[in-house]
Amino acid sequence: MGDLKLTGVTKDFGTARVIHPTDLQIRDGEFTVFVGPSGCGKSTMLRMIAGLEDITSGTLEIDGKKVNDLPPSKRGIAMVFQSYALYPHLNVFENIAFPLRVDRRPEAEVRQKVGAAAEVLKLTERLQHKPGELSGGQRQRVAIGRAIVREPSVFLFDEPLSNLDAALRGEMRVELSRLHAKLANTMIYVTHDQIEAMTMADRIVVLNAGRVEQVGSPLELFHRPVNRFVAGFIGNPNMNFLPATGLGTTPEGVALQIQNGPRVTIPVEGNVANGAALNLGIRPDDLRPDPDGLPCRVDVVERLGNSTVLYCVAPGGGQICMVTDGSTRATPGEAIGLGFDPKAAHLFIENGRALPRRHVPVDLDRIPTARTA
Amino acid sequence: MINRYRWWELVLIYAGMALFLTFMLAPFVEAFMVSLRPLAEVFRIPYRFFAEGMSFANYRQIWISQPMLGRWIINSFGIAVAVTILSMMCSIPAAYAFARFKFKLRDGLLSLFLAVSMVGAAVLIIPLYKLMLALGLLNTYAAMIIPGAAFTVPTGIFLMRSYFMRIPAELEEAAYVDGASRLYTMRRVILPIAAPGMVVVAITTFITAYAQQFLFALTFNSKNHLNPLPVGLYQFFGHQEVRWNELMAASIVGVLPVLVLYVFLQRYIVAGLTAGAVKE
Ligand SMILES: Nc1ncnc2c1ncn2[C@@H]1O[C@H](COP(=O)(O)OP(=O)(O)O)[C@@H](O)[C@H]1O
Ligand SMILES: [Mg+2]
Repeated sequence: MGDLKLTGVTKDFGTARVIHPTDLQIRDGEFTVFVGPSGCGKSTMLRMIAGLEDITSGTLEIDGKKVNDLPPSKRGIAMVFQSYALYPHLNVFENIAFPLRVDRRPEAEVRQKVGAAAEVLKLTERLQHKPGELSGGQRQRVAIGRAIVREPSVFLFDEPLSNLDAALRGEMRVELSRLHAKLANTMIYVTHDQIEAMTMADRIVVLNAGRVEQVGSPLELFHRPVNRFVAGFIGNPNMNFLPATGLGTTPEGVALQIQNGPRVTIPVEGNVANGAALNLGIRPDDLRPDPDGLPCRVDVVERLGNSTVLYCVAPGGGQICMVTDGSTRATPGEAIGLGFDPKAAHLFIENGRALPRRHVPVDLDRIPTARTA
Repeated sequence: MINRYRWWELVLIYAGMALFLTFMLAPFVEAFMVSLRPLAEVFRIPYRFFAEGMSFANYRQIWISQPMLGRWIINSFGIAVAVTILSMMCSIPAAYAFARFKFKLRDGLLSLFLAVSMVGAAVLIIPLYKLMLALGLLNTYAAMIIPGAAFTVPTGIFLMRSYFMRIPAELEEAAYVDGASRLYTMRRVILPIAAPGMVVVAITTFITAYAQQFLFALTFNSKNHLNPLPVGLYQFFGHQEVRWNELMAASIVGVLPVLVLYVFLQRYIVAGLTAGAVKE
């Protein structure tokens, strides 16, 4: 079992409040990713769950039991650190066996458990090596092995892939997803990389400046971000934001005037006053060339083969990014009109809150998550 | 790195080193030569480097003319070992606390330790004498061991602290998450990783203790059988004459254990002193 419940959890360092009151529930077996920019409090949150930091106020329950005052080893958790935290003087076998040795388990059991973990992690050949003789990916797996042998109900990972190069990171992502499918434990995974969050998570918790901005499945966050921060953070390349002025609400949605651009009506719920300052959000993939659209100028062209990324200058001087097909003939300096389907756009009112969209291209309730698949 | 120096640069470098080493080693060479000469040749004018009748006879004679010599050497060694053990038993936990825990006056205390070690034993020898008198420790091994340890602790703390600070805190957190107690973590994780550092600290402490025991023994001890070698050597100063040749032979015999130790452990010392200086 591995149900987690945070109620009104906060964290202060001295007088600085690093985590604002947070309520969060994580279900057994879920792969939850905490994502957010550097310094937003992800590690602090994870370390409070682990028991490495005191919880200033609020309660943390694991499997219905309050664990605020329990040491890490009594919480049924195992943690994998960003630096791997392997013991350099012990070989791989003893590194993985460490928690079992602490617990004074019999030698036969230690051998059997370490052997099994090494099998899963393809480390059998390396058991007699010291961590210093291993590659980054292998060290990472040893750290995971040490977590596995404890048979925790909750795995905690703090940016485990950030020390690896891009290719290896891609491989390890897949391996971690596989591991989760095999072990079916609750996993809480911290990262600042939204791609890791999108690819591995059943549920994503977006954090910003010590607050939870939104909790949801990857596609929920992608298609229904609740505010401008989440919209800008999730999705690659980042969403474009165009300043606009409200022209009132119609049955079709909100009418508005894009600054230095055309008038459009966006199909969203909610009322907008005439003259209200708005932000229109459009993902780069949702833009297309349109002679009647927003008149822009191509600035930089990035050809990726299967697609091309155009960085354009908008009439007001802002930058707009567009993803188009790989065979586009656009060249820097060229004038281009950018259009979009109003259904694909997001609309944010003054305080950054999003107005609910009427149309979402996928039926979010029917997309299986990694876990239910 | 191939042929970085021209030949004349190499000549200059080696000439410089030779000059430096001459200054450093000449006293040792002369001590050794004196220890080989008969007493008459020691005072001969004009001086001759290779004297007549040179032999190792003095190395046999010293044990006869000073039957306590062996005892002094053992005392010296024993006192230095005891000082090292006692000093490390104090400095390791203290250094760990200084490296890892936050407490009030931590930095102040650390500076205080350093200040004490800078003042040095010689300045404090009279108060120390009073203290030893009051505690009834005069004329015991303890009188030579305890102050010796006290004055080596600050350096020990400082060195060990920097080794401990280099060990990432995440290692300890990982052990803590796995249910290890502080002591278990210390024993199984921290100390093994800090072992090269501990060897360095032990050796420097031993050498310091060996060198500084003279002062404490001279002041706090008047029992000949408790004396360490440097004090015992004074008994080669006779009423009529100083038997320099035997004195030098005894000195060399006394220094030899430290020298041997150093030769065996020097690769640890160099490795330990430079460890972490370069990113691995
Ligand atoms: N031990 C600490 N003492 C004081 N402030 C801290 C401490 N640890 C973290 N912080 C502060 O808390 C905030 C969140 O840190 P952290 O949780 O490490 O962020 P993240 O992991 O999201 O990058 C940062 O502003 C950081 O400076
Ligand atoms: Mg962090």
